[in-house]
Amino acid sequence: MTADDILDGLELAVIEYDPAAAAHWAQQAVAQQIDPITALAALTEAIREVGEGFGCGELFLPDLIAAAEAMAAATAILEAEVAQRGLHRQGLGVVVIGTVFGDIHDIGKNMVATLLSAAGFTVHDLGINVRAEAFVAAVTTYNAQVLALSALLTTTAPEQKKVIDLLTAANLRQQVKVIVGGGGITADFAAAIGADGFDATAPGAVKLTKTLLAL
Amino acid sequence: MTINRDRLMDVLDKAHRGPVIKQFDWDTRVIPGVIAAKLKEYGLQKTCDPANPINQDLELADRFYRAAVDVATEVGMLCTDTQRAIRYSQAELLAGVDAAPAAFTLGEGREIAHFVHRAISDPTPPIWVSPLSIAVSEEVFEPLVTGIAAIPEVDCLEGPSFETIWGAPLRAGSPYELLAGKMQAEAFYGAIARAGREGIGLYAVGTSPTHYGVLGGFGIPGGYKPQRDIVLVLSPVEIKTSYENLMKLAHAYNCGGQTYGGSWSMIGGYAGGPEGAALSCIACTIMLYNVYQCVNGASFPYDLKTMGNCGRPALWSLGVVFQALSRNTHLCANSVLNQTAGPATECLLYESAVGMMLLSVCGASSCTGPRSAGGKYTNYITPLEVKFAGEVFKRCAGMSLAQANEIANRLLPKYEQQLGNPPKGQSFQECYDLATLQPSDEWQRIYDTVKDAAIAAGMPLH
Repeated sequence: MTADDILDGLELAVIEYDPAAAAHWAQQAVAQQIDPITALAALTEAIREVGEGFGCGELFLPDLIAAAEAMAAATAILEAEVAQRGLHRQGLGVVVIGTVFGDIHDIGKNMVATLLSAAGFTVHDLGINVRAEAFVAAVTTYNAQVLALSALLTTTAPEQKKVIDLLTAANLRQQVKVIVGGGGITADFAAAIGADGFDATAPGAVKLTKTLLAL
Repeated sequence: MTINRDRLMDVLDKAHRGPVIKQFDWDTRVIPGVIAAKLKEYGLQKTCDPANPINQDLELADRFYRAAVDVATEVGMLCTDTQRAIRYSQAELLAGVDAAPAAFTLGEGREIAHFVHRAISDPTPPIWVSPLSIAVSEEVFEPLVTGIAAIPEVDCLEGPSFETIWGAPLRAGSPYELLAGKMQAEAFYGAIARAGREGIGLYAVGTSPTHYGVLGGFGIPGGYKPQRDIVLVLSPVEIKTSYENLMKLAHAYNCGGQTYGGSWSMIGGYAGGPEGAALSCIACTIMLYNVYQCVNGASFPYDLKTMGNCGRPALWSLGVVFQALSRNTHLCANSVLNQTAGPATECLLYESAVGMMLLSVCGASSCTGPRSAGGKYTNYITPLEVKFAGEVFKRCAGMSLAQANEIANRLLPKYEQQLGNPPKGQSFQECYDLATLQPSDEWQRIYDTVKDAAIAAGMPLH
């Protein structure tokens, strides 16, 4: 078995949403002493392909989640190996994400969180119905570079402004990029509340995040 | 129909003693897994036919219903606050659906709206509930509602909703929302009186993302009236409920009121493609009528790619849902039509023409809409698109599925390319004279053009 066989196996396991196979190939990579960072890169490439399929409408959210689960099964093994060898894996950045207070809609937020993770960001998902104070605290706790706020309803959209205002009051606004999205959000609204960016789609949110961080 | 206390208490008991399932597992494993398995078991995979946006195979719709009964039995409905599934046996679920009325009324006096179960191609005109709860500014609310209530095709009112309350931002889950509940009821009663339609039924409370708007507006002095209006209980996707929803239900019970149960499934979301979304919607509808004991409502599909349901995959999915419910239940099922283009555009009216025709021939008892400009922009809703959608909905009653499918295929090319990037159009103030409540010449001309095109395509709008 060559290193290429193992890397191909890892990619295929993600593309076929097979966590058991992903774990198997990750263990093979460790046993064969393949650079774990190279193996992790193979996983990232595979999930990127799945993300592209999602972006063009060929795949759906369950596909994305299943692929992410397969990836997670292998990642846990490979990251343990990274730590074991004393290596350092450079991530793209830290994102805090959540749906604002008063709003319990999560599907768009979950898509963005999954795609950001797949792209290589470290994502802290605070869930739904999150109070502004909790977002601000999480930005500090996780030293986030990006805060992603979701709101579906026109009645909950103003909560996004409340979060931005609280960040400003806490002198945190300059250290974090704020992106907003959700069914009721428009580019005009995003600009009016002082957000750094808006995109109507989950793949677009990933591109926007990379642009804002100059990646 | 009044809400049965024993059934209500059983729901609350199940919400606190049912099997524990974490919401993440529900969304990412339970729903996708069960939907995918039932699609396969019943041979429903890849049955969406975009070339025929109005499904012609009624045996297929029946199979979707049978599969949906299985889905509802296996998954139930998740209460997000307790992380427990509300589940019934299959016999209990079907008995719950049977217990829902085949007819009911809203409103009073000469404005009573008679909702009835409708068959496929039923000649009985369906009920038009309009508009959706699109946010409008306080100064626009009264002229807009007066203009909409004056349209004879409108049988009941749900929206619009206030953007602000006495100048302050309307914050969900706050005292502002509680105050907005009654403020909105008073504003509606004032406007419908001025339009000469005092008795028209109201869906309460459009301005109520949480339960506070309902608590503040329904069944209180000066608020919405339980004997003639109805409480909206809108469940989150996918087949979920919450304390907020259950408090609306409990409040409706306390007030002797009736409930409307609504939800949706996104094509591209947790349930997968158009087939999965249709299956999820039918299963969710079965749960809505059991958990909320509603007299009206349903779950409907909606496409994440367009954020509407007037493109081919969503139309096909929507048609299958209402065909399945029409043929296999006696429910007064209600859909929502989600247009994406804004007022004063041809695209909005073509979306309405095809979507409303589909719902009329596929057995919907009623429809709520339109969602002009996707509901994204304040004041982007006018009476003229409400009138057009109502005309189509009622006058297409009795049309065959085959005829409707032909017309849909003639009209879809006129707008489907725009669905990914729909025109925003104009606000109410931009395309209406607020003093006379007349549309601008431009908007009237667009209406006439599209109506002529729809007639030329075979729609009975003469």
